[in-house]
Amino acid sequence: MTNREAEQRLRDEAKSLLESAKVDYIVGFADGSLKFHTTPLITRNKDDVDHLVINPFMASNLAKFLTELEGRVGIVAKGCDSRSIVSLVQDNKVSREKVVIVGIPCRGMINLSKIEQLAGKESDEIDDITRQGDKVVVKLDGSEKEIPVKEVLFDHCLACELPTPKEYDLLIDEPIPATPDEEASQAKINKLEELSHHERWRFWQNEFSRCIRCYACRNVCPACYCQRCFVEEAEPQWILSIPKWQDNLIFQIIRNIHLAGRCTDCGECERACPVNIPLRSLSKEMYDLVGELFRFKSGMEIDAAPLLTHYELEEAEDFFR
Amino acid sequence: MNQKISKKDISKLLDELGKEFKVFSPSRESGVTTFAEWDGRDSSFLEWYRNTVISPKAQLQPLYEKMFSFHKDKEGYHLELPPPTDKKLIFGIRPCDAKALTIIDKTFQDTYQDPYYLDKRKNTLLVGLGCTNPYDSCFCTSLGLSPTQSSDVDLMLTDIGDEFLIEAVTDRGIKLIKKTSYLKEATKTDEAKAEEARRQASSKVTRRLDTEDLAKRLLSSFDDQDFWEKVSNKCISCGICTLLCPTCYCFDISDELVKKEGSRFRSGDSCAFPVYTKMPMENPRLEKWRRVRQKVCHKYEFYPMSFEVIACSGCGRCIRLCPVNWDITQILASLPVKVKA
Amino acid sequence: MPVSDISYRKRFLTKDNVYLPHLVMIEKIIDETPDTRTFHFNFKDKGLREEFPFKSGQFGEYSIFGIGEAPFCISSSPTRYDRLEFTVRRVGSLTNALHRLSVGAEIGFRGPYGNGFPLDLLEDKNLVFVAGGIGLAPLRSLIWNVIDNRDKYKNIDIIYGVRSPADLCFKYDLKNWDKDKSINMVTTVDKGDKTWKGRVGFVPQVLEEVAPSADNAVAIACGPPIMIRFTFPVLAKLGFTPEQMITTLEKRMKCGIGKCGRCNIGNLYVCRDGPVFTYAQIKDFISDEY
Repeated sequence: MTNREAEQRLRDEAKSLLESAKVDYIVGFADGSLKFHTTPLITRNKDDVDHLVINPFMASNLAKFLTELEGRVGIVAKGCDSRSIVSLVQDNKVSREKVVIVGIPCRGMINLSKIEQLAGKESDEIDDITRQGDKVVVKLDGSEKEIPVKEVLFDHCLACELPTPKEYDLLIDEPIPATPDEEASQAKINKLEELSHHERWRFWQNEFSRCIRCYACRNVCPACYCQRCFVEEAEPQWILSIPKWQDNLIFQIIRNIHLAGRCTDCGECERACPVNIPLRSLSKEMYDLVGELFRFKSGMEIDAAPLLTHYELEEAEDFFR
Repeated sequence: MNQKISKKDISKLLDELGKEFKVFSPSRESGVTTFAEWDGRDSSFLEWYRNTVISPKAQLQPLYEKMFSFHKDKEGYHLELPPPTDKKLIFGIRPCDAKALTIIDKTFQDTYQDPYYLDKRKNTLLVGLGCTNPYDSCFCTSLGLSPTQSSDVDLMLTDIGDEFLIEAVTDRGIKLIKKTSYLKEATKTDEAKAEEARRQASSKVTRRLDTEDLAKRLLSSFDDQDFWEKVSNKCISCGICTLLCPTCYCFDISDELVKKEGSRFRSGDSCAFPVYTKMPMENPRLEKWRRVRQKVCHKYEFYPMSFEVIACSGCGRCIRLCPVNWDITQILASLPVKVKA
Repeated sequence: MPVSDISYRKRFLTKDNVYLPHLVMIEKIIDETPDTRTFHFNFKDKGLREEFPFKSGQFGEYSIFGIGEAPFCISSSPTRYDRLEFTVRRVGSLTNALHRLSVGAEIGFRGPYGNGFPLDLLEDKNLVFVAGGIGLAPLRSLIWNVIDNRDKYKNIDIIYGVRSPADLCFKYDLKNWDKDKSINMVTTVDKGDKTWKGRVGFVPQVLEEVAPSADNAVAIACGPPIMIRFTFPVLAKLGFTPEQMITTLEKRMKCGIGKCGRCNIGNLYVCRDGPVFTYAQIKDFISDEY
């Protein structure tokens, strides 16, 4: 199906879900107010679904909104989103019966910052960005530039193991097989691993000096659904509310520990950060560690138990010293 | 008679100014644009600078600052104030960010004088730089501002190609020009080039916000819970828009204690956070729509009621940086238009 | 209520820095209830002791260096210069730390902030004080202030209610006011115990039973929001107009001087334009978030 046909099918399905009262809300992507941006569309109104779109800029993880909305939700889900939904169902935060998963097979989302760097211009100065197969065509100042798509997809998209949702109620388009390129996805992280411990510490000290404690990383994350986050505790006080680099770093470390086994590497934390802290370098490290130690990938099996609430006698215990 | 300076001489100019002031200029680190101390680095910001992610307000109200430190000995507690601030010069501040400072001045001067902010404000010189390439998220013109001219700076620079036209706006600006080398007198052609540059830049600000009767429209929609729930449903209650907004000023006060000594700090806070108004027994803004309503109404209704100026300068950072592309101009445009009689 | 003249307070500010606390010492500690304590304090700098000007209903920001700062009303009367008092209930980290202090401890104090009660509007009037729980603390300052200038005011009714007899605060004051023949002192509890021989009933109910006259009267009510919400309608029923009803509002505060932003109700700051408001003003509030 072309993008246009898929969009139309999505709108029709969404409309019929609302009309038949199978859901109270539709959650999907609509065109943003800025070029090459989408914005979440959360609506009860069947006329609003005509704004639903499918394009390569749908980076948000909409599963975030499931823990806030009351009622039944028809949610548009890329592969990674569906993993977050499954993870929430496993955590008993969302009831499977109350969610209608409208699966969108995904060929990866375009990282605007990467395009901006390669084009040497900011996104509002670019005329058009279109994906044509395994190339992305960027039109600016009257000329066209072709870039291999692998250079402009998000790092987490390059490692994607589930482009097509495994758990869904309807699938809008033909399934897309996974073609993860772990090497390309890890490039930035591998550079860090080449540094000495001392250099790495200095790197993170420098990065976290920019942190403004906006908590966007925490708030975009579907797995961060605590009513009262540990940063808000006063007795005991885990970290200061002053954005010193030490406290900013500890915040992120503790957050990653809390997310172990539930983070699905959707990359939203790094995308949301307004000061470009490479947060995925930390969360992917945790994700890989969980995969290594427990041979577990979050959000893949709807019937699986959450990682840290489950124990098998056969589990490896070689990390006990 | 206006002056001008060649762009090639900017580095030398900043070095010279650096002898008297701590000079801050646009800088970029890890792709994040901010104002940082000029230490003889290259002036490549002249090529990429449109507007920074971290606004120059951070020089006057930093991300966090020490209010005083304390230690205890056998006589009891002793409190020490931080040392007085150096003279600063912010080179390249845009008209929207300069206007934003005059907006928040009103809060810090109202009734009680805020020593930390006002001290820095008094000691900071502003050299403004008119825009040449506004973002599509900019909407300063809707708030009565110009992207190319400002009365809120000491000197105003306009890009006329290989040079900048320099106009003095305040007495401090005039004094500064007298002390500065590398300046030449501007000709009539330079003035004409500047006019044309200003016209071109202003025409690029296309985003509009209808501010007519805005406070009244907000007042009449204040209790419309359905409206506020609808416009707030995709907000994720992070602090990006408020912490990066040059007209936001809310802060938190907290103490740090290391063994027996410590300091009291003030750091940025946001009305978007649920705990902002939380009390032991209740939280008047527990629901997200209330917090979103507070942010919008504070900026466009309450602040004008107290200080006769909208607490927004149209810089567009909130629109550019929001992770879910929540857009204040769209929200305000969708306000039901009825106005209370 | 206009923001009161702060010039006298400005003279009082240390080092021109509004955020720098004065050092004060705890002189006496009284256990009011298992979770409430009253602290008597005074300025370390003896020169400031005589000068400290405040009005009933104003509050201060009290600091424990290293833990933080919080606002509490000054519960003693400005007519009694020998002591300054504040009353604290244990609810969080700072209040717990305050409760761990002993006599002689040094803490920080910034103030006085807020608008205070409008004494001029109360002169020559019959006064009806309605207090619930720890809400008696700000009223207590006003009550003693009134008693110390007794001939300026007419009848005094005090209706004070708490959850249970163990929650009664300022028992020593209640005794004094009970003895005072010019005061009608009514104490009530929501739920009695084996030893309680007094009235039982919620404050709004008891207020309706006592039925003080609204003629030439002003009612001043302080207490938990839920009590206030039920007290105002009762007062209205008794004939009090919204201008005749006064209360104090509570919101989370940090700076206390209208800068940090968090205590706002519409364009008003509870710390700067309040905490004392008439019901007429409250009805006009843009927002109901208080």
